[in-house]
Amino acid sequence: MPSLQRYLRSIYRVGIRAWWRQLQYISDAKSGRFVGQDKFGNKYFENYNAEEEVPGRQRWVDFSQHTYHASQVPPEWHSWISHIRKDPPTEDALMIASQRPWQQPWTENLTGTRGAYKPYNTVAPKIRAWEPKIAPRA
Amino acid sequence: MQLLKRSAAANSARRVALRAPGSVACFSPAEPITTLAQRGSNQLSLETPQNKAGAAESTGCAEYVLSTLDKVANWARQGSMWPMTFGICPGLLVVQVEMMHMAAARYDQDRLGVVFRASPRQSDIMIVAGTLTNKMAPALRKVYDQMPEPRWVISMGSCANGGGYYHYSYSVVRGCDRIVPVDIYVPGCPPTAEALLYGMLQLQRKMRRSRKTVLWYGDWLVLFSADEHNRYRK
Repeated sequence: MPSLQRYLRSIYRVGIRAWWRQLQYISDAKSGRFVGQDKFGNKYFENYNAEEEVPGRQRWVDFSQHTYHASQVPPEWHSWISHIRKDPPTEDALMIASQRPWQQPWTENLTGTRGAYKPYNTVAPKIRAWEPKIAPRA
Repeated sequence: MQLLKRSAAANSARRVALRAPGSVACFSPAEPITTLAQRGSNQLSLETPQNKAGAAESTGCAEYVLSTLDKVANWARQGSMWPMTFGICPGLLVVQVEMMHMAAARYDQDRLGVVFRASPRQSDIMIVAGTLTNKMAPALRKVYDQMPEPRWVISMGSCANGGGYYHYSYSVVRGCDRIVPVDIYVPGCPPTAEALLYGMLQLQRKMRRSRKTVLWYGDWLVLFSADEHNRYRK
């Protein structure tokens, strides 16, 4: 349950500096077990103490980038953070076994940047835009 | 044809540019892929205003000031997005329900400052949810024209994106982008509330790279020198 005691306890645990960062990015003071870090530098935490976190807020991520968004979480960590799998990908035996050497590295969604995917067409266009032409007057 | 070839070449070049020299790994925490993708972009020019070389002395630190003003305006806009819902046809049943989910307690759009408005004159985003029919198209355009600038459009669901299931119907517009300019396309049939919220976040990202006053400044500079103008227009 969120309470003032919990808030102050979290500040005491994580320290002023981390608390300030949490205020900027998750607007709360949270403390918990550091579970792991992905290759992008995002840090993952969990706290299953029912006194401190309500269900749905028990696992969280500390993004490494300032302009963060959900697709920066790679799929294996996504399955952990949304409770699809119990164990983090660093400990989950099946997750480790299913990593393939030919697997493509995860890229976040680049919509709105210059790296955005732009489809192109190689067949002749079916629609011709209207080009107004003014006939000379007689 | 020439144009197609050129765009294909540009696409492959872009993909190559995003790949790190050497091999597969295109990422290091020191330089995330977003900064790589930002090279030469509007966002970068906002973050790194340049006013040193070649600028007229009388203009002083104009670009620093103006890009800061731009950032303030962008920040204000992204913090209070008021969408108007244009729910049509099956949208009333399916796609709009997802939109309501976004407004409700779980996804809670209010925490982002997103408030649904019923009037186009008080809103700055239009969410087109559901199939756009030929009969509805003039009304959609009229509503869009009634919205004050700056305005954005989110096309929600495959029916609004490109006709979707009704693409071959005789009475359906094949995508609402034939009627209004669309900023964000949210795919899905129907898209989840999560997807729509993610679309709103992407729109925030788009708002953040607007640099209206800097562009105005570039236009104004053209009175003095054509070279300066070209630099800003790039």
